[in-house]
Amino acid sequence: MKEYDAVVIGGGPAGMAAADVLGDHVKTLILDENDMLGGQLVKQTHKFFGDHVHYASTRGFEIANKFIDKIEKKPVDILTSSTVIGIYPQNTVAYVRNGHEDQVKYKKLIIATGAMERQLPFINSDLPGVYGAGAVQTLMNQYGIFPGKRFLIIGSGNIGLILAYQLAQTGVEVRAIVEALDKIGGYEVHANKAKRLGIPILLKHTIVKAIGDESVQGAIIAEVDDKFNVIAGTEKEIVVDTICISVGLMPITELTEQAKCKIAYIPELGGYVPVRDERMRTTNPDVFVAGDLSSIEEATTAMIEGKLAAMQIVEDVKKIDLEKEISNEIKTLAIFRSGPKSLKIRSGLEKMGIVTPRIEMPKFSPLPNSENGKLHAVIECTEEIPCNSCESACKFDAIKVGENINTPPVFDPLKCTGCAVCVTVCPGLAIFMEKSDESPNATLGIPYEFLPLPKSNEKMWGMDRDGNYVCDLTVKRVVKNPNKTYIVYVDLPKEFVDVVRHVTYPRKENPFVCRCEEITVDQIEKVIDSGITDFEEIKRITRVTMGPCGGKNCKMIILGIISKKTGIPISKLSHGTSRPPVKVVEFSAFLRGDKK
Amino acid sequence: MMKHASVVVIGGGIVGSAIAFSLLKMKTKNVCVIEKSYVSSGSTGRCAGGIRQQWSSPMNVKLAMRSVKLFEEFEKDVGMNIEYYQGGYLLLAYTDSEVDDFEKNVRMQKSQGLDVEILTSNQIKEKFPFINVEDIKLGSWCQSDGHANPQLANIAYAIAIRKMGGEFLTHTTVTGIDVQNRQIIGVQTDNGYISTKIVVDAAGFEAPKIGSMIGVDIPVHGERHQILVTEAVNHFLDPLVINFNHNYYVRQTHHGSLMMGQGDANPASGEDLGNTIEFLEEMSEKMIKDFPLLKNIHIVRQWSGAYDMSPDAQPIIDESKDISRFIYATGFSGHGFMLAPAVGESVAEMIIHGQTVTTDVSNLKMDRFTIGIEREHNVV
Repeated sequence: MKEYDAVVIGGGPAGMAAADVLGDHVKTLILDENDMLGGQLVKQTHKFFGDHVHYASTRGFEIANKFIDKIEKKPVDILTSSTVIGIYPQNTVAYVRNGHEDQVKYKKLIIATGAMERQLPFINSDLPGVYGAGAVQTLMNQYGIFPGKRFLIIGSGNIGLILAYQLAQTGVEVRAIVEALDKIGGYEVHANKAKRLGIPILLKHTIVKAIGDESVQGAIIAEVDDKFNVIAGTEKEIVVDTICISVGLMPITELTEQAKCKIAYIPELGGYVPVRDERMRTTNPDVFVAGDLSSIEEATTAMIEGKLAAMQIVEDVKKIDLEKEISNEIKTLAIFRSGPKSLKIRSGLEKMGIVTPRIEMPKFSPLPNSENGKLHAVIECTEEIPCNSCESACKFDAIKVGENINTPPVFDPLKCTGCAVCVTVCPGLAIFMEKSDESPNATLGIPYEFLPLPKSNEKMWGMDRDGNYVCDLTVKRVVKNPNKTYIVYVDLPKEFVDVVRHVTYPRKENPFVCRCEEITVDQIEKVIDSGITDFEEIKRITRVTMGPCGGKNCKMIILGIISKKTGIPISKLSHGTSRPPVKVVEFSAFLRGDKK
Repeated sequence: MMKHASVVVIGGGIVGSAIAFSLLKMKTKNVCVIEKSYVSSGSTGRCAGGIRQQWSSPMNVKLAMRSVKLFEEFEKDVGMNIEYYQGGYLLLAYTDSEVDDFEKNVRMQKSQGLDVEILTSNQIKEKFPFINVEDIKLGSWCQSDGHANPQLANIAYAIAIRKMGGEFLTHTTVTGIDVQNRQIIGVQTDNGYISTKIVVDAAGFEAPKIGSMIGVDIPVHGERHQILVTEAVNHFLDPLVINFNHNYYVRQTHHGSLMMGQGDANPASGEDLGNTIEFLEEMSEKMIKDFPLLKNIHIVRQWSGAYDMSPDAQPIIDESKDISRFIYATGFSGHGFMLAPAVGESVAEMIIHGQTVTTDVSNLKMDRFTIGIEREHNVV
């Protein structure tokens, strides 16, 4: 039987990062059940957050390829298509490869088996057409197969959000993302990417039932109360042919249990997880864990954990002093975990006795956007998430994140040269380019990841942060980038430079301007063409702005249409009167307390 | 902008528009309407759009019945669907004196040929099961009453006027009227001068301001009335309901929203088109009591408009004794929209023929105030 200093089970980001370190020092084997290393990375077509060292701004599958290249050059044995079936006494790993069982022995073992998707019980959840989000990603991104045309996504964590964006990139329709909680689970920038494509995120909603006989033909969704019970009477039907469940992941712990590692139930970390120390060593001194198996996080922390476990094994086996490197990695992990989005992880780790030191964040003080008529970046990243790709990319010191990678970037427009490198690296697609001077039109640069690429002088639609039509605009130029985040520079009315966040080809159907009253651009243009150009008169004829939103959403757009058709600048147009109540209110709200 | 007009109508609201439209329909050329803001910016665009014939004087009933005839023909005549709906008017009586008034009025209205009847409390409950009939003694019900969208009606007139060759100037303010030897010779605006011999003052509650330019005293003042609209709900309410006792009216629009208002206890002047929270409180209490099904309906918007109040709450339609061919049609006291088509016709006839032909409006002349006035009771 072959014996290795280190055996790594699982070739995802944690396992590959571990093998990468181990390969430099000890005799190493990495086992993975798939036909290539990479784990979940191979289906991640989006760019990663994080810092430069940990492949920030690189797309997941490219990270996998880089690791594979590195590992293959090292004296590491790689066994793919190998399914580990058990951990046995005397440090033995049994696996099946090509239909044959085989065994290896290890001095030290890293288990990095990752996680699996949680299931969600609902009526007819067994219908063909109900998928886990990961399965859809695999089919679509790895094999180029589309499971459907109209999707409903359950769960607004990063996976659900990213999947929605990726589906939209392929041109299929995502009808909605439903989320049982009252807030979006994933990163704000990921949510924004989906929202500006017009994908609604319905909070406090869940799926009640899949509809269909042979396969999914629709879904019933409903609102839920604070205890996640469905509120009767709020059910509504959506026509979809595919339902993707992305309600979270749970660690795959069987192998750690078999390796006699202690398991604890810590919901903050994802459920049952192996108990381990700061250096990823479990209660079995020869067994380490890393990645989602140890706590449900993301690829960057998984890679650091893999490295950390590997360094400790090198110390154990080769007696090489890596204390300095180890403490650096521990600090890096702490920095990644010091943001508010990692609160759960921190408290989960504390239950295990691992205290994540808090790293102070400098005060966030955004500078006002310069409007001096030069092209400059506009950064829309306010959530504390662990990423500093923009800071690393900026060669002119215009973007500051600082030591704590969770700090939102601080931007100095005076130092910005307009190079737009930050736009292309930002994994959240949260950086735009703007130029607004005296002329009535402005220039806006938008990160764009769709095909076909627009061409210069093409007419497109400008869409707002919620994916609604704003105005027609003209493409000025398209800047291509090797990382496939292109920048589309458009020429648009100055008033909309802060409103438009996405461009799309004009659709056949007419876009709604006023969604409350379902009034289309066409309807408004017809009224203007008939000679009625006063906003107030257009409002009375079409009912635009007369719905429950009171024109909050559409007034500017309507003024833009009037301005475009009449040539009168928006600033010279009358814009109506705001009338109370600014938000709709029930009659019963005005009852005195005793009458309620 | 035309240099010369045969008639200049000051005020592009529903009354001025109806007059100009009628003039053009009667083949008068070179008619010009001057509106200081946009079409339907004044009281017309702010009103609830009720169209009723249940009035307390025979001549008012006649005028209203003529108006209903013209509303029935509106889409064909003027050229736009204005959501006219003859869902009826239901007036509710709670006191003995209201019962007496209603019974007397219904007898008179019937004698004028109106399809009006008294409904008992039980009949009301049967017909409109969602109304809380507690304490209701009876109702007065007229099926051919109804409502329409005043904003659309106003805009429809404006479009028709332009199509028929008339001029409808918006965002134009009259700054003076030139008079020589008690004859009008022209109208000065902030956009230019129009020579004309005939001026119609249809400026609503601001009609006195126009009159005062040439020394004509018009006893009208603006009074603020508040109104609100709810979210749209499925159609359930056919009639416009008036409750004098609880002081409100309510109707459901074509769009599905409910539009309602009241007369404030101490109404502000017509110059003050603000809103009060008390209005919402008071209306909510009344609605929840009388229409319990509305309890959880959302209020979307509130606004206010000015009634052009005359001393007896009835319109003033007359030609000045002092200035030749200065005609005024104002003082509608909250009922201008529903009377406008018939008033437009009458005033056009007065201009062309020197007197009305179709409908007698002599009871609305100015001299009634010197004889002694009988106030219109049926007013919210």
